[in-house]
Amino acid sequence: MLDSSSNAAAGTLLGTSRRRRRLGVRAAHAAVPYALILPVVAVIGVILGYPLYWLVKLSTERYGLFELIRHAGVSVGLANYHSVLHDSIFWRTLLRTVVFTTANVVLTMVLGMAIALLLVRVSAVVRVLLSSGLVLVWSMPVVVAVQVWYWMTNFENGVVNYVLTELHVGNFFHHDWYVTTFSQLSLVTLLIVWGALPFVVITLYAGLAQVPGDLVEAAEVDGARSWRIFLDITLPILRPIVLILTSLSIIWDFGVFTQPYLLIGQSKITSGNYLMSIYLFEEGYFKSDFGRGAAISILMLLMVAALSVVYVRKMVRMGEAVQ
Amino acid sequence: MKRRSIVALSLVVVLAAALTAATSGATKRAAANSITVWLQVDAQSGWPDIVAAANKQFQSDHAGATVNVQYQNWGDHLQKFDATLAGGGGADVIEMGNTEMTKYMAAGAFAPLDKSAFDNSANWLKGLAASGKFGGKVYGVPYYAGSRVVTYRSDLFKKAGISKLPATTGEYVADAKKLLAANSKKGFSPLYIAGTDWYVAMSFVFDYGGGIATQVSGKWKGLLNSPKSIAGLTAYKNFFNATSRASKTTDETHPNPYDVYAQGGAASMLGPSWFTCCVGAKFKSATAQFVMPGRVKGQAIPGFLGGSDLAVPANSPNKALASDWIKDFTSTASEKALQAKGNIPNATNLLGASVNERAASRSWFVPTAKHWVDVENGNVLRNMLAQILSGKLSVKQAANSASDNIASVLNQS
Amino acid sequence: MTARRRGRRLRQTGWNIVGLVVFVVMVFPVFWMISTAFKTDDQIVGEKPTWLPLHPTLAHFRDAIDRPFFWDDVKNSLIVVSVTVAISIVLAFLAAVALARYRFGGRKLFVVLVIGIQMLPQAGLIIPLYVVLARYHQVNALSGLIVTYMTFVLPFCVWTLRGFLLGIPKDLEEAAMVDGSTRLGVFVKILLPLMGPGLVATSVFAFITTWNEYIFARVLLNDQQKQTVTVWLSYFLGSSRHTDWGALMAASTLTAIPVIVFFLLVQRRIAFGLTAGAVRG
Repeated sequence: MLDSSSNAAAGTLLGTSRRRRRLGVRAAHAAVPYALILPVVAVIGVILGYPLYWLVKLSTERYGLFELIRHAGVSVGLANYHSVLHDSIFWRTLLRTVVFTTANVVLTMVLGMAIALLLVRVSAVVRVLLSSGLVLVWSMPVVVAVQVWYWMTNFENGVVNYVLTELHVGNFFHHDWYVTTFSQLSLVTLLIVWGALPFVVITLYAGLAQVPGDLVEAAEVDGARSWRIFLDITLPILRPIVLILTSLSIIWDFGVFTQPYLLIGQSKITSGNYLMSIYLFEEGYFKSDFGRGAAISILMLLMVAALSVVYVRKMVRMGEAVQ
Repeated sequence: MKRRSIVALSLVVVLAAALTAATSGATKRAAANSITVWLQVDAQSGWPDIVAAANKQFQSDHAGATVNVQYQNWGDHLQKFDATLAGGGGADVIEMGNTEMTKYMAAGAFAPLDKSAFDNSANWLKGLAASGKFGGKVYGVPYYAGSRVVTYRSDLFKKAGISKLPATTGEYVADAKKLLAANSKKGFSPLYIAGTDWYVAMSFVFDYGGGIATQVSGKWKGLLNSPKSIAGLTAYKNFFNATSRASKTTDETHPNPYDVYAQGGAASMLGPSWFTCCVGAKFKSATAQFVMPGRVKGQAIPGFLGGSDLAVPANSPNKALASDWIKDFTSTASEKALQAKGNIPNATNLLGASVNERAASRSWFVPTAKHWVDVENGNVLRNMLAQILSGKLSVKQAANSASDNIASVLNQS
Repeated sequence: MTARRRGRRLRQTGWNIVGLVVFVVMVFPVFWMISTAFKTDDQIVGEKPTWLPLHPTLAHFRDAIDRPFFWDDVKNSLIVVSVTVAISIVLAFLAAVALARYRFGGRKLFVVLVIGIQMLPQAGLIIPLYVVLARYHQVNALSGLIVTYMTFVLPFCVWTLRGFLLGIPKDLEEAAMVDGSTRLGVFVKILLPLMGPGLVATSVFAFITTWNEYIFARVLLNDQQKQTVTVWLSYFLGSSRHTDWGALMAASTLTAIPVIVFFLLVQRRIAFGLTAGAVRG
């Protein structure tokens, strides 16, 4: 579409700039966008400027509890990065986290889109019911949601075990859902997707409101199949939002901490089931090796940037193209 | 309509900004005669009156002084502490778990204290006092301790024909068979122990004369693979299999043992003495406690002595006042009040004869190494127990790898 | 004709059933939280689940509200959240307009900044942020927490609002401008109404994120009367002793109420009202 064929994009760009010149952009107008972004840049710069500098500096220092108390690190060059990159646990954790993130993002987006489309099709009563249900889910603090999920799946008296046994799916009495890394992370995935759906669905649904109803109706009258309507009309209009949600999901799921940490439980966390953020926490902060923690933070930033670069570039280019 | 909502929105912003302005600005360092105390939330829910009494005593000794007690959570108080070590604005007195102390003492996070200033300091419980000492100096004042005891249902024991409480772990296994025979309930545990409850497992290790790690000429050496430790671990495995139907991979808070017990899922459970709080209304009257027996008749199994210390952070501007507050909070009167709430007081001369206190007669403590906390956080011991109980590895294999692991963590610079 | 209408109705019923199933699955954990709040302690840990407490008890709610500083902390949360959301939405909207409607030098850099901020692992920022805020005496103050939240909410809001803006055809504005409307006029008459759903979705997100945020609130606020409601909630779990599940669930139910109220307030105003029936499949 627009983003891939550079000719079309260039044509649009030329067109807009000519049009804008015709509208008469005065010199003062050049300052307008800067004025518009200034407040955001100022807030972020003032608050995060120094912490970011600190983080980068720390990543090149030996900075443990001893140094923290004296507010002075010892420069060690790239030793922290070296030690992380030569840690086999880091690479295994990275691989696990990439697989985990992919599963979470795909499930979140597919289910989210399905439920958003469903919201359009159901009757008003069901729509209100379902959307308020989603907000209920969303309004549950993560810490509490984790507790409830843990209960539902617990070994002694979890409802899930009870229901599965009653339904004769099998004997799930005293079934332990937290034995293998795979089942632990699967439960975490369910929890995360469940928790992410409200936001994704509501955002997509809000986006669906921008789809012109007459276009869809016209297509229907022409006898177009509903999935064709979806692919040809709905999806292109939702594209920016889908891209944003996908890249945000990648970023969040890659760095997710609270859900896996609390649901698997601190007592079951080992290097065999680390996710990236847990690796960061255990290696950097629990061990009070703040310099190494900073290096891991920056490496994580680079990794997630690499993971999401495709989407982000598409997104940015699309912004250019629309102009 | 739309314009009105913009106006409304900007009104909200202005109003809110004003409110914030009104509520902020109170962060200036408090006056010179005011101290901030960080206690764990246990004190707020369990004994706020003892805290209040100490504050009152403190204020009557120091006219015009104020105490600001801020409660913390076990889960994240160290993170908060780290931030205040870097940025200031933290506490003048901080409660630390006894296994958390060493790392911070080694890094110089605390100010040394004059031991003689505190009540009963000559008789402090050995395990607790050791956790507050580093390099010959005292940094932590013992606050209170807790041990592990057996909470049991006398009705079920009677029904199974057990007339005398078990006096050795061997007798306990025999009684477990009787309890199982008398109970057809699915998943019933004669003695509920969570599989990876390393406090219990290490009690067996110490009971068999083993240990976790020891320092040999400045270097830490893992002890879990010593013949005695392996005997203890094997005994734990056999004991667990005979007595507990708990998950082999779970810890002692998931689920809470008392929740299993309250449902009639266990005839007894091993844990802190306050477990009686939550045994369920119908079992309350039949519930009693005894000291967990050891391998040899007449001896309790060595128990882990958990507890808290009070320390003064090195960046506190009011160290003298802070130390005085600790003195008031750990006074004989205060410790006796803590004892009345079911805790073990901090000194041997205050010990009574409760089950909790008798269970503390033999106790063990974790290696006082700077990096011990990393072993705990890394779940080295729990992982080993899960491997042993699930049969993934033999006792010897699991103990070997855990022992090596522990030695390498403890010997980090 | 009638056959077709009947087919349509049948399909509608089918969708409704699917919708209800999704509703039940999604809402079950929430239902479990709320119903637990009304159960007795014995029912809570029971081996056989109690689906609906027939004799609901309010004891847990009473326990929860009686915990110290509940009302203080609710007030603090409301202040922090409303200020953060209000300011963030306004500032982010301005920046989103710049991104979606203007080309300017440094635009790419700004985009990188906005996206990059969200990729930062927050754990790495806790201590340095504390140090900075302590320097400006913003530790243990709601204002310090508000600016902290803004730095995390703003990039997200800018990004999402830009997406919604891109979805609005530019021709609409340009046509109005040709008709002689001013830029402000275009903004108020055309952009704002169309942006309604987007603004709502974004502010709901900002509201919920800040309302539920825990770790920064925990580290930055010390006095119990100055903390937020999630920190208050954490005290139920922070003890080494017995956790009062009933009270925790009751407290969690209570803290979810403001989120739901906020959503109900805004959703009827703009999002669902506007869109109901706009798109019929």
